[in-house]
Amino acid sequence: MKKSSLKTIIAALLAAALLCALAAACGGDAASNTDPSATPTPTDSVGKKDEVIIGFPGIPSGFDPLVTAGHGSYVPLLFSTLVALDADVNVIPDLAESYEVSEDALTYTFKLRSDARFTDGEPVKVSDVLFSLQTIMETASEIDLSVIDSVAAGAEGDTVIITLKHPQSTFILTMSGIGIAPEHLYGAGFAQSPVGSGPYKLAQYDVDQQMILEANEGYYGKAPGIRRAVFINMSGEDQQLIAARSGQVDITLTSATIAAVNTIDGYNLLVEKTVDNMGIVMPTIPAGSGTSSLGNPMGNDVTCDVNLRKAIAYAIDRERLCDEALSGYAAPAYSENDGMPWWNPESVIEMDVDYAISLLEAAGWTDTDGDGIRDKDGIKASVPVYYFAGDSARQAVAMSAANQVKENIGVELLVEGMGEGDIMAIMVAQPMILAWGSANPITSYYLYHSSSVGRDDWYNPESFASAAVDGYLEAALGAKTIEDAIPFWQKAQWDGETGTSMRGECPYIFLVNKDHLYFRRDGLNTGDQMIHAHGASWTLVANLKDWIWE
Amino acid sequence: MKKLNRRTAAAIIAAAILAVILAIYIGGALLPAAAIDADFSQKGLPPSPGHIFGTDFLGRDMFVRTIKGLSLSLTVGAVASAISAVIALAVGLTAALGRGIVDHAVNWFIDVFMSVPHTVLIILISVALSRGAAGMLIGVAVTHWVSLARIIRGEVLQIRSAQYIAAARGFGKSRLWIARRHVLPHLLPQFFVGLILLFPHAIMHESGLTFLGFGLPPERPAIGIILAESMRYISSGAIWLAIFPGVSLVILVLLIDKLGSLVRYLLEPREAQM
Amino acid sequence: MGAVIIKTIAVYVARGITLLLAVSVLSFALASASPIDPETRYRLSHPGVSDENVERMREYWGIDEPPVKRYFAWLGGVLRGEWGTSTAYRQPVLDVVGVRFKTSLALMMTAWTFSGLLGFSVGCVMGVFRGRWQDRVIKRVCLIMCSIPTFWIGLVFLAVFAAALGWFPFGLAVPPGVPPEAVTLGQRIHHIILPAMTLGFLSFANLALHTREKLIDAYGSDWAIFARARGESDVAILFQHGIRNALIPAVTMQLGSFAELFGGSVFAESIFSYPGLGAAVSAAGTGATDIPLFLGIVIFTACFIFAGNLIANVLTLIIDPRTRRSTGI
Repeated sequence: MKKSSLKTIIAALLAAALLCALAAACGGDAASNTDPSATPTPTDSVGKKDEVIIGFPGIPSGFDPLVTAGHGSYVPLLFSTLVALDADVNVIPDLAESYEVSEDALTYTFKLRSDARFTDGEPVKVSDVLFSLQTIMETASEIDLSVIDSVAAGAEGDTVIITLKHPQSTFILTMSGIGIAPEHLYGAGFAQSPVGSGPYKLAQYDVDQQMILEANEGYYGKAPGIRRAVFINMSGEDQQLIAARSGQVDITLTSATIAAVNTIDGYNLLVEKTVDNMGIVMPTIPAGSGTSSLGNPMGNDVTCDVNLRKAIAYAIDRERLCDEALSGYAAPAYSENDGMPWWNPESVIEMDVDYAISLLEAAGWTDTDGDGIRDKDGIKASVPVYYFAGDSARQAVAMSAANQVKENIGVELLVEGMGEGDIMAIMVAQPMILAWGSANPITSYYLYHSSSVGRDDWYNPESFASAAVDGYLEAALGAKTIEDAIPFWQKAQWDGETGTSMRGECPYIFLVNKDHLYFRRDGLNTGDQMIHAHGASWTLVANLKDWIWE
Repeated sequence: MKKLNRRTAAAIIAAAILAVILAIYIGGALLPAAAIDADFSQKGLPPSPGHIFGTDFLGRDMFVRTIKGLSLSLTVGAVASAISAVIALAVGLTAALGRGIVDHAVNWFIDVFMSVPHTVLIILISVALSRGAAGMLIGVAVTHWVSLARIIRGEVLQIRSAQYIAAARGFGKSRLWIARRHVLPHLLPQFFVGLILLFPHAIMHESGLTFLGFGLPPERPAIGIILAESMRYISSGAIWLAIFPGVSLVILVLLIDKLGSLVRYLLEPREAQM
Repeated sequence: MGAVIIKTIAVYVARGITLLLAVSVLSFALASASPIDPETRYRLSHPGVSDENVERMREYWGIDEPPVKRYFAWLGGVLRGEWGTSTAYRQPVLDVVGVRFKTSLALMMTAWTFSGLLGFSVGCVMGVFRGRWQDRVIKRVCLIMCSIPTFWIGLVFLAVFAAALGWFPFGLAVPPGVPPEAVTLGQRIHHIILPAMTLGFLSFANLALHTREKLIDAYGSDWAIFARARGESDVAILFQHGIRNALIPAVTMQLGSFAELFGGSVFAESIFSYPGLGAAVSAAGTGATDIPLFLGIVIFTACFIFAGNLIANVLTLIIDPRTRRSTGI
C-alpha cells in the first residue's frame, strides 16, 4: 500500500462522511425548486391577521373520521357533523339544517343542507352520510354506534333516517362528534390525505413536526377569521415556554407550574375553566373477589370500606390542594361533570375532618400501634395511589392530597408513578388517579354501570355495582331527550340516600378540576369556548373557526 | 523505600475514596424516606444554606434526593456489576479453556451482543420485564460483561501458554488442578479490577435508563429520574435542579474510576500507570 | 490481494448474517416476553370496546399462535420487506424507519465527523506535548469527559446555549411552522449543532486518548528517534510520520463506534426533541409499546452497525497487510 493511495482513501472517507451529513441534512425534499421566500417564515406570519401558529402536543398519526370521533378531536375542524354543539353545550345545526325526533324517540330524521361540498368540489350527499355511518357500524372499534338499528335515505332525497334499537338520550350528542367522509374517496390512505367538508382542510402534516390547516374556501358556514393555522408539535412544557418567549407561536399550552413563575411580554395567560377533573378511584370490593377479563385479581381490603373512602373524601381541603399542587390554577371537583347541565349540585361536600374521623372510628379504624396510621383487624389504613408516570400535575395533586389525609385522619396514601400498561394490571386492585371530563353524560354510564365491571379498561376499575344506580343510569340513557334524562343522571349521583357522589357510595374521591392554561399572544381572540373537557389541546381549537385577531 | 511510600499513599487515598463512597451509600440508605416527602411550602427554592442543592417543584430537598439517588445508583451498580462479572468470568473461562469450536461459539455469542446498541438492548430487556427495577438490573448486567470477558479470555490464553503451565502439565497435573493453582490466582486481580471498573459504566447506564423513563417509578430518587424531571424547569431558570445532581454523579463516577486504578496499582504495580 | 479481500468479506458477511439472525431471535423473544400484550394495549386505547372486537383483533394479531410460528411469520415478512405496521404512527414500519433514519443520519454523521476531527486533533496535540503539562491537563480533562453521561452534557448544553444564551433553538430538526420544502440548509445546521455536539462528546475524548497512545508509540519508534537525531521538531515528525500511523487506528475506531453512536443518539434526540430513530426507540418503548416499530429499529440498527464494522475491518485489511494473513476477524 502506497502512502499516496492511503491518503486518498482517508480523504475520500472523510469527504464521503461530510457529504453524507450534508446531504442528509438537506433532506430529499429540500432539493426541490421551491422558492423559500414564497412561503412565509414564522417571523413574517406572526402578527398577520388571518394566520395563527399553535404550539400543540400530539399531531395525529392519521385523520380518519370513521375511526376517531368526538368533539375533542380533529373531526369538527376538518369534517362536517350532522349537528354541532355551541359554547353552552346546546345542539345546533351543522350538515343537517334541521332534524326531527319521532314521538317514541326511535327515529331521527336529518334534513341535509344542499350547499355543503367536500374540498374536492363534490357535494356532500345523503349517500355519504349513509356510507359513513354504515362503515362505522360495520367496523366499529372506537366509535360505538351499536344503538343504531338501521340507516336509510328518506323519500325526499335530502334526508337521512336513523332508526334506533331503543331510545338513547345521548344519541344526538354522539352524532355531534361523528364526521362525514366522502364515499368516493374513502379507502386505503384516506387517513393520510383526508378530504372533508368542514371549515378547514388539511394542507400538510408530518406527525413528528407539524400540521397546517387552511380555510376551506367552499365552506357553507361563516368564513373562518383564521385562514391558515399551523400546529407545531410541542409536547414539553419547557419547549412550549421557550417557543412563546421567543415569539414563535401565537398560542401554546402551558402548565400550572410554569405559568406560576413565568410571564411573557406580549402574551397573556388564558385560563379556561374545565370539567377536566382528577380523582382517586378506589376499589369498592374486598380482595379475593375474582379476576378481571385479563385475569387480574380484583378488590382491595382497605378501600372496600365505604366509610374509609368517605372519610378520605371529607378530610381533604380542596382549595388548599388547588393552591399547593396547581398554583391556584384549578377548582375543587366534586363529580365527573361539575357544572354540566346533568350535574347534581348536591354532590358538593364541605371538608369536615370531625365527620371523617367519626366515620373511621365507627367503622373500627383506630391507631392501635401508635405509628400515626390507623388500622383495623391487623390491616393498616395504608394504600398506594398510582398515577401515570410523567404527569407532573397528577403527581403533585396526589402528593398534596396524601399529605392532608395523613395529617388529618391518619390514613396513608403512598403516591407512586407507573406506566399505563403496568397500572392496567393492578388498577382493579389498587387506587389510582384518573382524569375524566366529557361533554357527553354517557361517560357517567360507562363509569358506574355494573356492566363495566372487570373489563380492563379505564371504566369502572373500582368494580362499583349498585342496583339503584344501574336503574337511574339506564333510565337516563333510555330517556327520550337530553332534557328528560337530566333528573336521572342527577339521581345517579345522589338521590337523597345513595348515589355515585362522595356523599353516597364514593367510589371516586374527586379532587380538582384543573384549569387549562395557555400563553396567548395579545390581540388573539379565541372566541367563546365550550367548557373544556378532558385534554387541553383539541378542546382549545374546537372553535378555531371563531378565532380572530383584534 | 520510595516505592513503599507511593504504595502506602495509594492505599491511603484508596481507603479515603472508599470511605467517601461508603458514606454516600450509607447516608442515602439511612436518610428517612420522609425527608423527601413533598413539602409545598418549600417549593422551587434556589440553593440556600437550608437546602444546599435547592428544592424542586414539589418542595423536595434536592440534596437529600441526590444522596439517595447516588446511593441507589451504587446499589444498582454493585448488583449489576457483580452479575456482569460472574457472567464475564464464566464466558471468558469457557472461551479460553474450551478449544476451537467452543472459543468460536463464545466469540460469536459476544458478537451478537455487540451487534445491538447497548442502550437499545437495555430498553428492550426492560420492556420485556415490564420496566421494573428487575428489568433495569438485568438489563445493565447482561450488557456489561463483554469487555471483561474478553480481558479474562486473553489473560487465560496468555497464562496457558506460559512455561510453568506446560511444566505442570508435564508432571501430569489435571486441568482442574492447573486451573485452581495457576490460572485463578493470576486471574483474580484482573477480575477484581475489572469488576470495579464495570461500576461506573453500570451507574451511567442506570442513570441513562431511568432518565429515559425506563426502570424505576418517578418517586424513587434515581439520578436519571431527577435529571429527567429537571429538564422541564431548565427553561424557567431552575438550572440548579440539573446542575448539582449531575455534577454529583460525575464526581461519584470519577471517584470509582480512581479507586479502580489505585487498586490496580496496588495489586499489579508493574502494569498500572498512575 | 484482491482475492484475499473478497474472501474475507465473504466470510465476514456470512458471519454477519448469522449474527443478524441471532439478533432477530433475541429481540423477538424479548419483545414477545413483554407483559403488555397487544390485547392490553388495544383495551387501553379503546375503552369500552366490545368483546367481539377484541376476539377479532386477537385473530388478526395471531396471538393465539405459538411463538415460533409467529417468529417465522414475522421473519418472512421482514425478508419480503413487510416489516409490519407501527402502532403509534399507523404507517408501515419501513416508512417510519426510513424517514427517521434520514434525519438521524444527518445528526449522527455530523457528530461522528465532529468528534473524529476534534478527537484526532486533540490526540495529536497531546502526542506532541506528551509528558508535559499541556498533555497532562488535556489528558485529565479527557478522562473526566469519559465519565460524563451523554444525557447530562445534553442538559447542560440545553441550559447554557439554548436557555441562558439563546444561541440555539430548544429542539426539533427544523424551525416550527415552516413547510419542509422551505427549510434552508442554514436552518437545519442551526438545529443540528447542539444535539450533534452532545452526541460528539460521547466518543471524542476516547478517540483523543487512543490517538495519544498511538502517537506516543510512534514517537518511540526508530524512525522518529532517527528523525529527532536529525534535528527535526516534534511537529514536523507528527506531520511526516505520526499522523500516518495514528490516523488509521483512529478511523477504524470511529467506524467501530457506530453502536455507541446510535446508543448516544437515543439520548441526544430525546433531549432535543430531534425526530430521529433514537427518539423513536425511546418512544416505542414507553407508553403503549410499539413492538413492530421497536423490532424494526433493532434489526435496522444491527445492519447499520454491521456495515460500520465491515468497513472498519476491510479498511484495516487494505491498509495493514499484516492482518491479511489470517482470515479470522
